Amino acid sequence: MALCAYAFPGILNRTVVSDLSKQSPFLSEWFNGTDLQFQFQHKLTQVKKRSRVVQASLSESGEYYTQRPPTPILDTINYPIHMKNLSLKELKQLADEVRSDTIFNVSKAGGHLGSSLGVVELTVALHYVFNAPQDRILWDVGHQSYPHKILTGRREKMSTLRQTNGLAGFTKRSESEYDCFGTGHSSTTISAGLGMAVGRDLKGRNSNVIAVIGDGAMTAGQAYEAMNNAGYLDSDMIVILNDNRQVSLPTATLDGPVAPVGALSSALSRLQSNRPLRELREVAKGVTKQIGGPMHELAAKVDEYARGMISGSGSTLFEELGLYYIGPVDGHSIDDLISILKEVRSTKTTGPVLIHVVTEKGRGYPYAERAADKYHGVAKFDPATGKQFKASAKTQSYTTYFAEALIAEAEADKDIVAIHAAMGGGTGMNLFLRRFPTRCFDVGIAEQHAVTFAAGLACEGLKPFCAIYSSFMQRAYDQVVHDVDLQKLPVGFAMDRAGLVGADGPTHCGAFDVTFMACLPNMVVMAPSDEAELFHMVATAAAIDDRPSCFRYPRGNGIGVELPVGNKGTPLEVGKGRILVEGERVALLGYGSAVQSCLAAAAVLESRGLQVTVADARFCKPLDRALIKSLAKSHEVLITVEEGSIGGFGSHVVQFMALDGLLDGKLKWRPIVLPDRYIDHGSPADQLAEAGLTPSSIAATVFNILGQTREALEIMT
Amino acid sequence: MYLRTTIDPNPRVFFPSNPQFPRTQNGSLRVYSKLNNNVIEISETKSFYELLGIPETVSLFEIKQAYKQQARKYHPDVSPPGRVEEYTERFIRVQEAYETLSDPKTRDMYDKHMSKGLHFAFSARRRCQNDESMEDKGEWKNRWQSQLSELKRRNMHKDSGNNMSWGARMRRQRNEASS
Repeated sequence: MALCAYAFPGILNRTVVSDLSKQSPFLSEWFNGTDLQFQFQHKLTQVKKRSRVVQASLSESGEYYTQRPPTPILDTINYPIHMKNLSLKELKQLADEVRSDTIFNVSKAGGHLGSSLGVVELTVALHYVFNAPQDRILWDVGHQSYPHKILTGRREKMSTLRQTNGLAGFTKRSESEYDCFGTGHSSTTISAGLGMAVGRDLKGRNSNVIAVIGDGAMTAGQAYEAMNNAGYLDSDMIVILNDNRQVSLPTATLDGPVAPVGALSSALSRLQSNRPLRELREVAKGVTKQIGGPMHELAAKVDEYARGMISGSGSTLFEELGLYYIGPVDGHSIDDLISILKEVRSTKTTGPVLIHVVTEKGRGYPYAERAADKYHGVAKFDPATGKQFKASAKTQSYTTYFAEALIAEAEADKDIVAIHAAMGGGTGMNLFLRRFPTRCFDVGIAEQHAVTFAAGLACEGLKPFCAIYSSFMQRAYDQVVHDVDLQKLPVGFAMDRAGLVGADGPTHCGAFDVTFMACLPNMVVMAPSDEAELFHMVATAAAIDDRPSCFRYPRGNGIGVELPVGNKGTPLEVGKGRILVEGERVALLGYGSAVQSCLAAAAVLESRGLQVTVADARFCKPLDRALIKSLAKSHEVLITVEEGSIGGFGSHVVQFMALDGLLDGKLKWRPIVLPDRYIDHGSPADQLAEAGLTPSSIAATVFNILGQTREALEIMT
Repeated sequence: MYLRTTIDPNPRVFFPSNPQFPRTQNGSLRVYSKLNNNVIEISETKSFYELLGIPETVSLFEIKQAYKQQARKYHPDVSPPGRVEEYTERFIRVQEAYETLSDPKTRDMYDKHMSKGLHFAFSARRRCQNDESMEDKGEWKNRWQSQLSELKRRNMHKDSGNNMSWGARMRRQRNEASS
């Protein structure tokens, strides 16, 4: 082991040690609780390497970042069963080690840090008290499951987190038997947990079901639907409410942290500071103890009443729904957590119990604790300084462009308002909020409410824009159909993260939005092929005032075209596409970001002597019929390309062509869509290759259709 | 409202059976302890602006002026001999008010909280928050311990014959099957 090579005598000058601790305060945190001599040695090696880094080669300085923190107890744990014999002191140390291991792994691979750090103690306590996988532990959203994965046999693979063929960033049933339910979207665990509890009862088994859900996920309606049902069915299960007062991503504006949105958060915080009421009860208890005897029963009754009446409005909310409320509990105290969980587990018949655990997002890593977004999602970073290694790009993300476009439109039109569902950072709406604080609404994790809320705003003559991720829009589908489209209300839907999204995987993949939006009778469906088009489409959506409209854009950065002046786009003529490259024989009709792949494919084909036409359809609904007709009539082959599932743009094109008789001649039409399976997480390039949507795949398809299979093979290899 | 005393760590306060607490001029409650006849002040939570005696739309300079005035008045060294604790308490709260309001970020947060009526739970100073939360956490333990004992007591009778919930029926079925 490299460290042994640098063995220094344990006896050191005191001043030297204090200097070291000043230089590397973070490392000293890591080494709390380990052997002091080892600590000295390690600190000295740090100093040694530091002084050498200045003169050393790249490989030497690289060594500094690859140092894994020492984890003696964690090294002995492969599965939760190995934890059962640890003492409380060892469990505390285990929690610290899991924490450093999490920080180390996320620093190497990127991922969700803050949430995982907040639940380290909770994870350790749960796995110590309960027996996974017979006992079902469900993690809502799943992004806080990194400590869980470390403790359940996946520690060695943690470096492959969120990478192609590596561990998923959320819980996944096919990955491990310890992940009992796949999550990614929020607020599903109480429902799933209740299902598991009822299934267990029907099968006559005897095990525990624990659903861990955050206070942010608690703002979604599904959580209440589940609690409503759980209280009624009265099946045994434990719901752990992980309350860290973070609802939105981030729970902060661009200028600093804010209070979490929603009335529920204030109710939960009142629960935490209910001092005088408890004191009243304590005093009452003290009084009756002195009186003694039959007064005890009376006191118990009084206690019950008092519990209901004055024990705080939040707990009565859960109690009214039929869940027994316990808490608040310090979520970072392992002994508290273990004693409560043991008690609850040993109580024979409980019905549903809610344990309100208070944690801090990013706990144990000072940079995360201080950051406004609590390091919710980070790229690779340097643990010692907390600095993330963000690749610099020449262009900004589509998200930022969308926000700027909407701001420009809202400057001109004071009726434009923006709505998002706890995703101020991810949708760029925090930029809008800074510019128009009264015209930006964060409704919490409530997409269904957001859409109907927008419909209500539209009834009053405002122009609402719902900025909701494509995959989260799935939640609000009925509201889109029934509340917006059916009534033809002018609501704009800005669907970010359309198409494949990379490391987040299939749970966040926006594959279906073209399909489910374009089949609605009154919806205008469009997709920009680059950022300038995005500006124009925002303007178009703002200009449409008699029907709903939507547009989708992918994750990633713009390609670098010139932006319109003052960020203000000009509205496009609805139902008009454009031809980008003139060619012959073969026409590639792209929709959205796929147009860029088509252009790249055209370049590949041109290098092999084939000039193809590339067109940007812009609108899926209403289609540019004239463009399609002209392409169909002047080419032998028409290929529609989109980064969406079957039933989307290509289907609408072929429907039109069939009805118009364009397929009755010698035209060959082929669709290129996402395959009929879920594409696993990985790098965007890998995912596109897996899906067959890379420029080479498109070019190879062209050659295959033309019968030039040899060239097709040449391209693909 | 919260109980904060610097006089006696274990005040033996006797709550009268008919709670009609006399209110003082400045809106704070005074409870008379029968044991040592001391007046322990339970202050109605004043907003920071009220503490400093300023309207809510003042500039930083005016906040500073008001703070200096209040600090000079309530500093423990210049307080009248019999009321040192009370003045110290007031001084600390005035200081907290100034710290919150002088920083535009925290002031903004505080204003938002106030508009929602939450100022009794708000504290901008992280350190103070930690102190309060440490006290809170000590009390939390008592609370959940009593909740756990209540849970055990309640569930001894939970699945008796008259509980007809689905879960209770399944549990009875399971118990009968195993016995």
